[in-house]
Amino acid sequence: MKIVCVCACTSGIAHTYLAKAKLEKAATELGDEIHIETQGTIGTENALTPEQIAEADVALLAVDIATTGNERFKNIPTVKVGTSLVVKAPKKLLKKIEEEIKERKSKKE
Amino acid sequence: MKTFVTGAKKAGSAVKKHLLTSISYMLPLVVASGLLIAIGNLMGGKQVTSLAQMNFPNSMTTLGVLGMGLLPSFIAGYIGYSIADRPGIAPGFLAGQIASFLGAGFLGGIIGGFIAGYIALGIRKIKVPRWANGLMPMLIVPTVTAIFTALIMFFLLGQPLTAATTALNHFITGLDRSQRALYGFLIGWIGCADFGGAISKIPNLICDGLLLDGIKGPEGIKVLAAMVPPFGITMSYFFAKLFHKNIYTKREVENIEVAFPMGCCMITEGVIPIAMNDLLRTLPCTWIGCGITGMISYGWENESSVPSGGIFVIPAMSKPLVAVIALVAGSLVTGILLAIIKKPLTAEQVNEIANESQDDEKDVDLSGVNLQ
Repeated sequence: MKIVCVCACTSGIAHTYLAKAKLEKAATELGDEIHIETQGTIGTENALTPEQIAEADVALLAVDIATTGNERFKNIPTVKVGTSLVVKAPKKLLKKIEEEIKERKSKKE
Repeated sequence: MKTFVTGAKKAGSAVKKHLLTSISYMLPLVVASGLLIAIGNLMGGKQVTSLAQMNFPNSMTTLGVLGMGLLPSFIAGYIGYSIADRPGIAPGFLAGQIASFLGAGFLGGIIGGFIAGYIALGIRKIKVPRWANGLMPMLIVPTVTAIFTALIMFFLLGQPLTAATTALNHFITGLDRSQRALYGFLIGWIGCADFGGAISKIPNLICDGLLLDGIKGPEGIKVLAAMVPPFGITMSYFFAKLFHKNIYTKREVENIEVAFPMGCCMITEGVIPIAMNDLLRTLPCTWIGCGITGMISYGWENESSVPSGGIFVIPAMSKPLVAVIALVAGSLVTGILLAIIKKPLTAEQVNEIANESQDDEKDVDLSGVNLQ
């Protein structure tokens, strides 16, 4: 599964980057491709490219606060969770998302 | 009934998101303003009102005070932004100005932000003829929102808000030393209860709010207590070493090496990977340590006008010596308690063969995770 992701937490210095690290590790172990944009206090880093978003199966918003640029994901399925959930159980979350996507695809067919 | 409960839950998490967004934007402003005031005050600066009186210390203090004055507007403005996107910013800032006018700083800013934000969101949804589309974000939403916000804030909420703020300030400034020590313990304890997580945010938010109203003691507790868990755990490692007792695995020690410098910058989260392995023993030790730090800091009237920055802002506190004593005492208590109650590990456990267990993830409720 190909995932695009935005991480943002309240202080914008800790959980944002913890979540990014956890997700990247979990995605590699599960064999998923993930691109993560961080919107910390320092500003947006590793901004997602339109190509990455166009190719993605799902957009994962791991955010505690209002983030910018959410209209980019209007054409793909979107999941929104808090950063603490991502830090606690990144793999379980990714597996759950994969299930949901499969379910949706089978419904369409 | 079920739909009502989930509805209420959703509304609650939306409100929380709006609050956290505003705090996220506000923090850098408070840190910069607080440090400016501290730098200016250290050099004998005062707040001045004319350019003729301006020298370096005065310029620092004056700008810091001006910056603090922006805070209610920042809060209200970015709550408005979080609710209604860009059209919510201008009315939100105006609502914050009303809060300043009422002397209801923080509380007024939050309430004003929500009022302005939701009114703006409502007006945005009104369909207008196409020729008026350009007028909506530029003229109609901000102006109409501001008019309604002004009416509600000035005439409906003005008096209650002012009264509530005054009452709260009287209550806090009227506490005697033993009461201050008790509240200090509570703020320190709850403020670090989950190492910077959701529970911690609540007392920390209240501390930030009191700072805006000129009550700086709780902010001192917040800054100091946030450093206690990482410092205490670091100390416990060395104490245990003294008695030839191994209480941390190699990987945990690596984590401590990261958590300590993070702790110096007031980021408590670094200890989470260490605490997570032994929550039942770690939590009580850090709670007691944080509480003691809060008790000493608040009991002996240490104040901080800077809400963030860790050990680097201790010199800017009103009583740096008390601050250091509070921090060291709390960390020592945490460190000693941990060194005593944590179970000794065998050599094999310390070197734990890197078996990345698949099940080290916590059980979480994923029922709310849905595609949109």
